[in-house]
Amino acid sequence: MSILTLCTASSEEIPPVSLEALAAARNLSDQLGGGDVQTLLVGSGVADHASALIHRGADSVFVVDDPKLEDHQAELILGTVEQAVDQLSPDVVVFPHDHLSGGHVAPRLARRLKTGIVTDCTGLEVRDGNIRWLRPVYGGKAVAYMIATGPVQMATMRALAFEPLEPDASREGVVETLDINLDALSAQVPVVDQIVEEDEFAGRSIDRADIIVSGGRGMGDEEGFENVKKLAEALDAAIGGSRPAADSGWVPHSHLVGQTGKIVAPQLYIAIGISGAPQHMSGAGSSKTIVAINKDEDAPIFKAAHVGVVEEWENIIPTLIEELKKE
Amino acid sequence: MHTVVCMKQVIDPEVPPHLFEIDPEEMKQVRGTHPLVIGQYSEVAIEVALQLKEKTDGKATVLTMGDEDTVESLHQALAMGVDQAIRITDPAFEDADAFGRAHILAAALHKIEDFDVVLCGRQAGDIELGLVGPFLAEELELPCATIIANIDPHNGKVRMRRPVDIGYEILEASPPLLATITNDESNVPRYASVRGMLAARRAEIPVWSADDLGIDTSQLGLSSAQIMMDEIFIPETHVEIEIIGGETGANKARNLVDHLREEGLI
Repeated sequence: MSILTLCTASSEEIPPVSLEALAAARNLSDQLGGGDVQTLLVGSGVADHASALIHRGADSVFVVDDPKLEDHQAELILGTVEQAVDQLSPDVVVFPHDHLSGGHVAPRLARRLKTGIVTDCTGLEVRDGNIRWLRPVYGGKAVAYMIATGPVQMATMRALAFEPLEPDASREGVVETLDINLDALSAQVPVVDQIVEEDEFAGRSIDRADIIVSGGRGMGDEEGFENVKKLAEALDAAIGGSRPAADSGWVPHSHLVGQTGKIVAPQLYIAIGISGAPQHMSGAGSSKTIVAINKDEDAPIFKAAHVGVVEEWENIIPTLIEELKKE
Repeated sequence: MHTVVCMKQVIDPEVPPHLFEIDPEEMKQVRGTHPLVIGQYSEVAIEVALQLKEKTDGKATVLTMGDEDTVESLHQALAMGVDQAIRITDPAFEDADAFGRAHILAAALHKIEDFDVVLCGRQAGDIELGLVGPFLAEELELPCATIIANIDPHNGKVRMRRPVDIGYEILEASPPLLATITNDESNVPRYASVRGMLAARRAEIPVWSADDLGIDTSQLGLSSAQIMMDEIFIPETHVEIEIIGGETGANKARNLVDHLREEGLI
C-alpha cells in the first residue's frame, strides 16, 4: 500500500497545511498497519525541503523543481500531479484542502483518473479494510463517514485537522527527482494581479491566529463593530465576524468565520453579539476555548461556549479593554 | 455574454438544529415540512451572473436538475432577473452522484450551445463535496477557475476576483469558461421583486429529459468509481459552560479578564 501526499511549496517555506496532510497520511499508514508514505514536492527552488518532509513523516519524497512552477498555476500543478500519479501508481492520494490543491486540483484529478474522492475531511479511520473519511455535512449539523472507491482512493484534508508531526532528524528516507513534461502544460487561467488588503484589518488575519475576537449582528452597526476591533487590538488578536457582520460590510469577507467563510481553530475565540447559528459554529466550533458575550441567555452560542457572560456588550467591552491595558 | 448558472436546490439550511433530523436508512436529512430553497452559493452565483449580464448587456440562464419541487426556486431566479430557466428531470437521474450530475449538466450545456460563462456554487449546502463544478469543467474541457467572487469583462476576456488570505487575486481567462462562485461583499444576492415573481409564474420553463439530452441512462456515473456515504450522524456537542457572574457589567468584565489570565489564555 502506498499513500501519496502533495506539498506545493515556495522556496522559503513548506505550508503548514502540507505538513498536516502528511501527518494524516502517516496516521492512515499506521492504521493500515504499514504503508509507504510518499510526498510529491512541487514548486520552484523547493528541492531543499525534501529532508524536512522526511523528518516530518515521509518515507520518500519525489521532487518536481522547476521555475515554471514558481507561482503554482493550477493547470501546471494539475498536469504535474497527473503525470506523477501515472508514474508512481499510488493506492491512496491525500491532498491538503487549500484552495489550490483541495478545492481545485484534486477534484479535477479525480475526474481525470475516474476515481472516487472525499473532500475537506477532518478525520479518517480504517474499518473492515475500508478507509472511512470523516467530514462535516449539512453546514456542520451532521458528520459523515464516506468511502471513495476506484483505481486510486482520493481525499483532501481540512487545515488543522491533523497536527504536523514533530520533526525527527533521525528519520531516513529516499529522495528522487521526478521527470515531468511541463512543456505541454499552459496556464489557462493565469493569475494576472494581486491586490493586497491595506486597511485596519491587515495584520489581523484570522488564518491560524491564536486569539480571535469576533462580532456579529448584535454589534448593531458599523460603529458598534468598532468595539470588536478595539478589543482585538487590546488583545493583539485577529478580527473575525459572523455572516451578518460580513454581509453588512462591517468586516471584510476574508475575516468571515463560518461555513461560508473560514474554518478556524484558535486557542481562544471570543464571540460578541453572535447568536451561534450552526453556519457560524461550523467555522468556530473547533476553537480550544470559546468565550461568548451575549445579552440573551438563551442564545445557542451558550450551548457551544466554554465561558459565558450574559450581558450587553456595551457594559463589558470598555472595562475589558481598560483591564487588559493594566497588565 | 451569456452566462449559465447550474443551480442546486437544498433543504433550507436555516432549519434550526433541534429540528434537524437524519434518516439513518436513507443516510440523508429528513425533508419533513422544511422548505426547499436555492442553495446559498447557487444564489450568489445567480447574483454574479446578473451582474455580468448588466456589465455586458448579456443574458443569464439558470439550469437545474430536479422534480417539480424545484420550480419555485426557478421562479425565484427568474424574479431576480434571470432571462431563462431550464429544468432537467428524469427518473434515471435521481440517484446520480457528482460524476453523474456533471455528465448530465454537460449534456444540457451542449444542448444550450451558445454559452460564454458557466457558473456553479463552490459547494452545495448539503454534502458539500464541491465536486460538480470542477468535474463539469473537465467534462466540457473548459478553463476552470474556482472560488471566484466577481467577474468583469476585459478586452474580450474576463477578469475574475478570487478572495485569498492577503486580499484578492485577479485571474484572467478567455470564454467559454467555468467558474465556481463564493460569497463576498460584492455579490450579496438581490431580492426577487414582487412584480418579478408574478411575471416569473407566467414564464415557460422547458423540461429536458434523458432522451432530450441524448443521455444513455445505463451509462450514468462511472462504473469504476463511487463516493459512498457509509455512516451519518448528528454529533453530540455537550460543553460544560462556566458563566462569569458579577453585580455589574464592569464587574463581569473584570472577572472575565481574571478568569482568562488564570487559565493562561491571555
